[in-house]
Amino acid sequence: MAEKVTFKVFRFNPEKDKKPYYQDFEVEIRKPGMMVLDGLNQIRWEMDGTLAFRRSCREGVCGSDGLNINGVNMLSCITHISDLKPPIVIQPLPSLPVVKDLVVDLTDFMNKFFLVKPYLITYSPPPDKERLQTPEERKKLDGLYECILCACCSTSCPSYWADPEYLGPSALLNSARFILDSRDEGADERFEIINDRHGVWRCHTILNCIEACPKLLNPTEAIGELKKILIKKKF
Amino acid sequence: MKYFGSGRSGAFDWFFQRVSGIVLLVTLFLHFYVMHFAIEGPITYEKVMVRLSSPGWKALDIVFLIFAVYHAVNGFKLIIDDYVHSTVLRAVTIGLLWVMGIAFLTIGIMTIVNLRVQS
Ligand code: SF4
Repeated sequence: MAEKVTFKVFRFNPEKDKKPYYQDFEVEIRKPGMMVLDGLNQIRWEMDGTLAFRRSCREGVCGSDGLNINGVNMLSCITHISDLKPPIVIQPLPSLPVVKDLVVDLTDFMNKFFLVKPYLITYSPPPDKERLQTPEERKKLDGLYECILCACCSTSCPSYWADPEYLGPSALLNSARFILDSRDEGADERFEIINDRHGVWRCHTILNCIEACPKLLNPTEAIGELKKILIKKKF
Repeated sequence: MKYFGSGRSGAFDWFFQRVSGIVLLVTLFLHFYVMHFAIEGPITYEKVMVRLSSPGWKALDIVFLIFAVYHAVNGFKLIIDDYVHSTVLRAVTIGLLWVMGIAFLTIGIMTIVNLRVQS
């Protein structure tokens, strides 16, 4: 008989359930290196077709399957079942409204992302070809551009839970992505937005976001960088 | 959206929470040094009061008091910013904080200014 692992899955159907509950599933380990997502697929395809969760690329690129697994936010598709202590407790990302089961409403998270103007802003006339930058300038964007907007960081942040207006680590990291870009000329308008008690100053350096980020980025450091620039400007 | 409270961005609060924190740390170690190493033991009321009653120490203590009260009040303000979002509650809590801060400052300054060796 194949080895089995218990998945304790958060279930909530707002049309039927008054309260959320946890349901146990026995996931069969059929091949070495199975990911949590493989387990969830097994549940949906073979045991209970009503289980709702998001996934797409299944290789840590699309950012759609951010989940709270054994208490830590991570991507189910790049997390080995064997690395986790059973029973594996799977919950939706904390603090966001639950649409159904493991699917959360990301509207607020995305709105905050758009708020920091996450696109290249330029006022100088465009050169004949593309806007160039040196390898050193490009290097400054490493650790910033890789964000896949999975929301693992923001929803792990107690400041984000407590303050509904707080932009959160992800949006702030993405603002740093453009503020620190040598080709970008929109730093001032972004600083307008993030230099706010619901912007960078709401970060209390709790460091949860670093632990949560599946792309091994460091939002706290990015926020610290932004704080430093703002303090230097002001004092 | 701006909450009730001063319209400042929070940059000042953040920066001076750090500055006042450093001042408190320095004065803490100064206190430690003066009380445990600089004084010929044993520590007695007279020895301590003579020092505390001198104008230089009074000035230093007032500076310490200002930074300590600022640090405490500002810390509470940050907690209120974190958790209290309704305008009315914010008005009440931040108002109370001001009253408490000013009260502590007044009592503290009065105490320091009036210090003298009692016999
Ligand atoms: S910074 Fe990391 S955890 Fe946060 S949204 Fe981007 S990829 Fe996800």
